[in-house]
Amino acid sequence: MPEETPERLSDDPIVGRSMSGALLAASLLLLASLAWALYDEFYGLRPWKLYQQRFVQLYSAYLDKAIQEQAAAEEALAQTPTYQGLLQQLQEAQAAIAPREKEINDELAIIEQRLTVLTTLFANARGEVTALVYEAEVAAGEEQRQRILDRVEKVKRGPFRARLPVPDGTLETIDYNYDRLESDYTHLQARKAFLLSELARVREHVTELNTELRAYVEENTLGLSTAQLKGLLSKAKKFDIDVKQIHVIETDLVDRCESCHLGIREPLELTGATWEEVASQGGKGKPSADDRQYAAFVSHPNRELLRIHDPERFGCSPCHGGNGRATSSVVKGHGRHKYWLWPLHYRENFEAGCQQCHARDMVVEHAPVLNRGKELFRLRGCVGCHRFEGFDDERERLQGVGMAIRRINLQKADFEREIKLSIRRGDEAPDNEQAQRYYAQAENLRVRISGLDAELEQLRLQARSLLREEKRIGPNLKEIRAKLRPEWIPVWLRSPHAWRPTTKMPRFRLDETEVHAISAFLWQNALPGSVPRQPEGNPARGKQLFETRGCLACHALGEGESAVGGTFAANLSRIGEKANYDYLVRWTYNPRQRLRPYCPLEKRDLTPEDYAKHGLPFEFDLEHSRCPNDGEELQVQSGTVMPSLRLTWEDARDIATFLMGQRQQDPASYTKADYLDNRELAEQGKFLVRHYGCAGCHEIGGFETEGRIGTELTAEGSKPVERLDFALLTEHAKRGILPDGSPSPRGKWYDHKGFFEQKLANPGVYDQGKIKPPLERLRMPEPNVTPEEITALTTFLLGSVDPGYGFPTDYLYHPEDRRKDIQDGWWIVTRYNCMGCHQIRIGQESVLMTLPAYQTPEGKEQRPPVLIGAGARLNPDWLARFLENPALSKTDLNRNGVRPYLQARMPTFNLSLREIQTLVRFFAALSSQTQPYIPPPVRPLTDVERTVARQLFTHPAAPCLKCHATGDPVHDRNVNAPNFLLARERLQPAWTLRWMLDPARMIPGTAMPSGLFRREGDRWVFSGPLPPGAQVYKGDHAELLQRYIFELTAEEQRRLAGRVPVGPAAASAAGSGMATNLVKSH
Amino acid sequence: MDWHQLWEITSAPDNIPIVALLFLVPFYAWYGLRQALENDRLVAQLEKDPAMAKTHHRKTQPWKPGWSREVHVWPYLMRIEFLAALIVTFILMVWSITLNAPLEEPANPNLTMNPAKAPWYFLGLQEMLVYFDPWIAGVLMPTLIIIGLMVIPYIDTNPLGNGYYTFRQRPIAILSFCFGFLGLWVLMIIIGTFIRGPGWMWFWPGQTWDHNRLVFEVNRDLHEIWPFSAVIPQTSWLAKGLFGGAVVALYYLLAGLAVHKVFVLNEFTRKIYRRMGLVQYLTVQFFFVTMLGLPVKMLLRLLFRIKYVWVTPWFNI
Repeated sequence: MPEETPERLSDDPIVGRSMSGALLAASLLLLASLAWALYDEFYGLRPWKLYQQRFVQLYSAYLDKAIQEQAAAEEALAQTPTYQGLLQQLQEAQAAIAPREKEINDELAIIEQRLTVLTTLFANARGEVTALVYEAEVAAGEEQRQRILDRVEKVKRGPFRARLPVPDGTLETIDYNYDRLESDYTHLQARKAFLLSELARVREHVTELNTELRAYVEENTLGLSTAQLKGLLSKAKKFDIDVKQIHVIETDLVDRCESCHLGIREPLELTGATWEEVASQGGKGKPSADDRQYAAFVSHPNRELLRIHDPERFGCSPCHGGNGRATSSVVKGHGRHKYWLWPLHYRENFEAGCQQCHARDMVVEHAPVLNRGKELFRLRGCVGCHRFEGFDDERERLQGVGMAIRRINLQKADFEREIKLSIRRGDEAPDNEQAQRYYAQAENLRVRISGLDAELEQLRLQARSLLREEKRIGPNLKEIRAKLRPEWIPVWLRSPHAWRPTTKMPRFRLDETEVHAISAFLWQNALPGSVPRQPEGNPARGKQLFETRGCLACHALGEGESAVGGTFAANLSRIGEKANYDYLVRWTYNPRQRLRPYCPLEKRDLTPEDYAKHGLPFEFDLEHSRCPNDGEELQVQSGTVMPSLRLTWEDARDIATFLMGQRQQDPASYTKADYLDNRELAEQGKFLVRHYGCAGCHEIGGFETEGRIGTELTAEGSKPVERLDFALLTEHAKRGILPDGSPSPRGKWYDHKGFFEQKLANPGVYDQGKIKPPLERLRMPEPNVTPEEITALTTFLLGSVDPGYGFPTDYLYHPEDRRKDIQDGWWIVTRYNCMGCHQIRIGQESVLMTLPAYQTPEGKEQRPPVLIGAGARLNPDWLARFLENPALSKTDLNRNGVRPYLQARMPTFNLSLREIQTLVRFFAALSSQTQPYIPPPVRPLTDVERTVARQLFTHPAAPCLKCHATGDPVHDRNVNAPNFLLARERLQPAWTLRWMLDPARMIPGTAMPSGLFRREGDRWVFSGPLPPGAQVYKGDHAELLQRYIFELTAEEQRRLAGRVPVGPAAASAAGSGMATNLVKSH
Repeated sequence: MDWHQLWEITSAPDNIPIVALLFLVPFYAWYGLRQALENDRLVAQLEKDPAMAKTHHRKTQPWKPGWSREVHVWPYLMRIEFLAALIVTFILMVWSITLNAPLEEPANPNLTMNPAKAPWYFLGLQEMLVYFDPWIAGVLMPTLIIIGLMVIPYIDTNPLGNGYYTFRQRPIAILSFCFGFLGLWVLMIIIGTFIRGPGWMWFWPGQTWDHNRLVFEVNRDLHEIWPFSAVIPQTSWLAKGLFGGAVVALYYLLAGLAVHKVFVLNEFTRKIYRRMGLVQYLTVQFFFVTMLGLPVKMLLRLLFRIKYVWVTPWFNI
């Protein structure tokens, strides 16, 4: 400022002050922030870059080492004679084809060169010609067209000059016209294709040998070959630092998890330990303190799951949760913050991810925790109060069917009216044609009504099935007057767990008055009837029966650690303290029997008077199930899943006597409960029974149609967390303080997992600190679960979400094919605890199998049959008949229909038609059978064949009838296999053949010997010394035997059985000995 | 004292501007006023010194010997503004690097958040909704605020105070700003941020925002309160309307008188008053009285639980 004087500049606060310092500082700061922003952009927001660098380092080091080890192993292998032999063969084969190979390759090289020249030339020529032809096609007039066509001709005449290489290395020059050019070009193409296929043909043998050599190396070394490892290494070397993303276009799913989890799909087994080892050994990867990276680099622990759910189609987050798109931090990627609704499942709950799509499956492969959760949910009676789609929905379905029936009846009435109307219109129609139309209309409606009748019939059948399927978790409390000692009831109600630690009955938080009131109501509300008196039985025999008939598959005896048996049903250790002997006998004989039938229409139990009124005997069972008053289908069975074991009355008495001895204290020592007859108390009790929802699990008079009192849980996992009532614990949960005031190990627990876990551990927890009148307190009882069971249930609930909650709905597992049959079947298999006795899944153990009594050689023979592959084994029609009546007899019920030698009894479950259908389809689907099953045509045996077959059948090296039952009681004392007479009806021929050839492959450890036949050309021949007839016979021995078995008559079997020596020990010893002999000779 | 709760509120990324506001607004108010008072002292010196008044022809402006009489925009203003721009850009850069946008979960129409708060700059409006009908708090008042700001050049008859800080030369303008912006707008934003918790209930700082909290409060209209309830037929719209209208009219009268008292307080204010035409003065009166109505209504509601003063079938005040 030239006119300013110096003194002014120094005095004026604005003009006189320089700001350069401040400006410089601010500019530098801004520049620094720019640098920071750039760093943040490249690294701060992209932490995966560092992960990837580290991974490449570690992985390369790991692969280097693995390659060395593998190379050493392969080196050692190369010295073996087999390898050398193979190598030599390979070299010889290569030498043998070398001249021809060279010839072909030389010719191919020339052709390749010539083609390169010709292709360009021909493409140009063709382009010009086709363009001209097009012009001719659209030419304005005939004259012009002709002119253009002339030009085409001229172009085609060429010449097209080509300089083509010839074998001696020189070039020949050819002037082509268009046609010759084309033909030469196509000829060369064809020749090339021919030579290539010729080359492959010539090399065929070498390729085979090569494959064989490689296979030999792979078979004899562990893991990947050096070549494969080197491939991985070169991939790692060429690694591109970049976001690794799965994008499933159909569902618009984007998962970038593999940007950090780089080892997930690597074909090697990589664990945290692997990486630590690699890092600690130095090499290229220096040890790092950040062990989180090691956890990130592991390979997927269950490759089978990845195979079923290909990540390219399913991504990662639909199963695991988390935010697949987020890459800026671990917390964000895992979605473990309050604004991401679908956080990564915790390690112990990760199977919740399975439930999301597999909600319709009762049993999900690879998900033991989830399966346990589902099992508990049903078994512990959660479903009694909480509706859950798919679980025990017979009552709802029954209502649905009832509505459908009403709708169809209305429709029928409508049609009837319309028919009348049409006929009247026809009568009044002015002309014949119109009248005919009306009459035809009436006729059609009549036919449609007949269709409706068919539908109605099906619906009635369904209703009948559903009524039979309706089960309750707890016992029928209408019968307690006949069943229980009254003084035991209050003891039980006070704390069921104290009396029977493993019971499924939960503990309600009742005060003493409530206990008295409920006991009084139940006692007074029970039916007055009694059961017939029974004489004492033999407890020793009862014990033996209890332990061998299969009771232990569901029930256990003994407390705590010493309990032996299944946990599916009650532990019977103290049953003698509570039960009434006469009732117990009847129950053992047939648990489904009721004192009175229940009529759903009148909503009451029918009395003998109801029957007497109509002059009918008081008789009700599955054959007599119509209500005498209104013809409605009655509930004639108790709602228990316990089946009938088809015992005799004597057996039942023995078992009951044995069970009555199971007690820890004298029943007389229980305090008398006089208040049970107090009327006022009972009134109060009635209110409480409704309040606590007892009828959710028990059948109680007057409460038969009571609904569920709890929240529906079908989609509880997707309920907004704000709707879960943490009550006064909300702030505790948000700050990671447990209800007891201690810090939560997981930190904040204000989420679904936290809510469920606390609620299950203590259902009243969210009443903590609340001031409420008793009846407004939380009603959920204490479910008697261990921490592991809480985890299982939590996992199940966490995965129970609305379809598409955090994952695309396309992924829902709702199959319509065979897999649906499997899905449906599991619900029934688990409901009746079939797996208590049978193995159905590969790798699964039945309860009986694990009991000490079934571990001895004799015990193993007593194990119930393995059902893996049963669908391929059994004729489905037969299976349906068998499931309906496992005795396979209307009169002789005290036996097993197929395996009389088994002590354990296949019970009669009184399955409904629908259940039987579902089970048959289930087994068929499990064994990949098509439906319906049509038996293949039988080829009858000729006389010669029959003779040969008979010789084989009774061959001393493998006398079939030594182990297989014949129905003769004396013979059958020592057998351990089913009767052949059943085969024709029961078995599928193809399976029978496969079974005879290698039974141990189907059922490891089976008593049936393997190696009975050996392969000879294209047929199977008996392995033992051949009888004379068989030596001449040119057919397949195994097939012959199978046909013979399917033709076997009772008479023939009886005749042959006489020839087979039978001795108690000899039978099994000889049988197994022979098996080993045969295997050896084979 | 729930420190955790307090920390939750102050550390929420959403509330950063408000926490900053808490310190920056008082600081700049103080800083500006300090400068203003300093200048006022200089002007007073100038007025007292006739000699200097001669050399310095504009005695209403702060000036000292040795100071430049005029300061040019370029470079003296521009360089300061440039510096400010640099510093603000720097702050924004650091802010945007360190804090992410406070995005929450996907919106769920079946589940609204609680408390549901407007963006911080609208919290004053949201707070007003507690005291007035939505139509008045949400439409009428904002419109009046905007119109009020627009008319300032037309009603401001005071020519002093351009280009420098001063309090003495613009007392009414500065006090109106302090009251209307700092006292009402900023305060309401702070209330909305720190005080209003779940259910838009009043939580003192340090009180836990408990979603289960229950309070018993009954708000009643003025005419439902004794002694008015004894006189006014509670079912007659006409009686209620006339009563409420009369109360509001009375308020306007009394408040107008009070505002007038301010305008005739001393010689200086009277000078400003005299310069205004009738329309200008009435406009000023209307806006002042209406602005004053807000805290009056707030106090009525918060202290006496009065819901509305004037109830009609069409609007409530």
